[in-house]
Amino acid sequence: MSELTKKLTVNHVKRKYSAKDIIIKVVLYAVLVIIAFFTLFPYVWMLLTSFKTNAEATSVELKLFPEVFKFDSYVKLTQLKELQISDASFLRAMLNTLIIEVTVIPIGTFVAALAAFSFAKMRLPHKRFFLLFLMSGMMVPYAAVLLPQYRAFSAIGWVGNEGFSQMLPLIIPGFFGNVGMMFFFIQYMKSTPNALIEAGRIDGASWMKIFIRIIIPVIVPAIAAQVIFWFLGIWNDFFAPSIYLSRDWLTLQALISQLNDSLARRADIPLVMAGSTLGSIPMIVIYVFFQRYFIQSLALTGIKE
Amino acid sequence: MTKSNRKLYTKEKRTAFAFITLPLIGFSVFTLFSLVAVLVFSFADYNTYRETFDFSKPFQNFVNLFTNDTYSNAFFRSIGNTVLLLIGIPIGMVAGLFVAALLQSKAVKKGSKVFQVLYYLPAVTSAVAVNLVFRYIFNPSYGLINRLFDADIPWFSNEWLIKIAIILKNTWSSMGGTMILYIAGMLAIPQSYYESADVDGASPLRKFFSITFPLLTPTTFYIIITSVIGGLQSYADAQIFGAGAAGSQTIVWFIWNYGINQGKQGLASAASLVLAVFIMIVTVIQFRYSNKWVYED
Repeated sequence: MSELTKKLTVNHVKRKYSAKDIIIKVVLYAVLVIIAFFTLFPYVWMLLTSFKTNAEATSVELKLFPEVFKFDSYVKLTQLKELQISDASFLRAMLNTLIIEVTVIPIGTFVAALAAFSFAKMRLPHKRFFLLFLMSGMMVPYAAVLLPQYRAFSAIGWVGNEGFSQMLPLIIPGFFGNVGMMFFFIQYMKSTPNALIEAGRIDGASWMKIFIRIIIPVIVPAIAAQVIFWFLGIWNDFFAPSIYLSRDWLTLQALISQLNDSLARRADIPLVMAGSTLGSIPMIVIYVFFQRYFIQSLALTGIKE
Repeated sequence: MTKSNRKLYTKEKRTAFAFITLPLIGFSVFTLFSLVAVLVFSFADYNTYRETFDFSKPFQNFVNLFTNDTYSNAFFRSIGNTVLLLIGIPIGMVAGLFVAALLQSKAVKKGSKVFQVLYYLPAVTSAVAVNLVFRYIFNPSYGLINRLFDADIPWFSNEWLIKIAIILKNTWSSMGGTMILYIAGMLAIPQSYYESADVDGASPLRKFFSITFPLLTPTTFYIIITSVIGGLQSYADAQIFGAGAAGSQTIVWFIWNYGINQGKQGLASAASLVLAVFIMIVTVIQFRYSNKWVYED
């Protein structure tokens, strides 16, 4: 720190206690609290509504709190099938979502990281061409290729059946890696020293061995950041699951949206809010625990591209 | 190169290629082949319910899409809606930039992290839950807003009001994400710039508009591009929040409604093609102009 800036900082510290600064501080914090209120209010409203009766939730009289906190809607959520409100049970839908998560993410991440290793550290012929080729796919919207994929999956019998195979359109494409993730790994691996790899080569290790033993341990932070986002993405995904899945195989988000649909005539608002609450809590918990990763990873993505 | 070296190099090339085969296959099948199929479908009279598939009138889908009132009204409406809903992007960006600037200001040091975590919360909440809660809040007969102001605002049936509601909702859910990106951008600005501005006696506002904002153009550009690409693919707003209401229908909703829901694959494929071209143009603009528009040193 230069002499001048030191002086300025000292001045700043002294000025911190002036009346004007205190007022500014109070105003700024007030603004932050108001914004926080607006951010949190929909969550509070969702939670409070889930404890109301439907009559209270749809009454013209506005009340913040329920007369009595009722857990009926949460009980109802456990009996969706029995009460014929929905085709799948809530727990089953959660399990279905997790099935997609645990099959797609490990395999897709491994494939993406392996390809990234090839791009970043190996003498791959026509490297630029292949990279541009793969990345051009990132500008093709999913909705644009949905229809032929839907037709193809229908033709091989993965659509409209009763069994597990209706989940395959949501699982199989993920096995081929995620190009966005691959690009992130390439950038990350560029800072990995080549000496490590060369040492491995001299020891006669195969490229696969180098990838697994040397590269993966080094890129663990990048993997963690990307996996969290992919997990969040699959958990919250709605478009494709709502198209491909039915009955016992609905994912959580597809099921929750159905709670609204199937009750469109006479909406059971507290049930919909209870479903939304339970569907959001897992991600909120994960986010609060891993918020450092979320924020770092998002920041990195923003800067890198 | 010695013989054994060359052999090693050949082997490395082969292994390197093997490592990228799965993504190459995935891209070829799920993107490239699908795009070609969309192109083919869009020139066919292809209806999955009537089980037709013929090419006798190859341009009929495009003619229908642009000139036949039965479809063109819905098509132009969905394009118009999608584009109008993009207005939410600058609003969310201004909100995000504003809170980012507040949280990074010297006056706010304590609790800055807590606010940051809170503001980002909507970004981890599913579009389904957000849409359902806001649909309840905006409900014309018993929703919070109309009850609170004792009003009868027809939020869903009026095609302008429903867009305003969706834009408000999207501002709420996008502010946190933009905030994080702007904070990251701000942290990358060298402190020395502000120190020399301090020497000149610049006010905080002056510093913001002369240093912070111009240096954040890469971030701004990135947010605009990614949000526009995301916005053009908006679906849940129309399906869940609008429940298919005319004022909320988007291009992707149109594709779903005609292609999946009504089985008019040919027509919907033509619409998919239009969407794909839109998004490719945006992406190409990003690549071509990112160097010109964006401040980078």
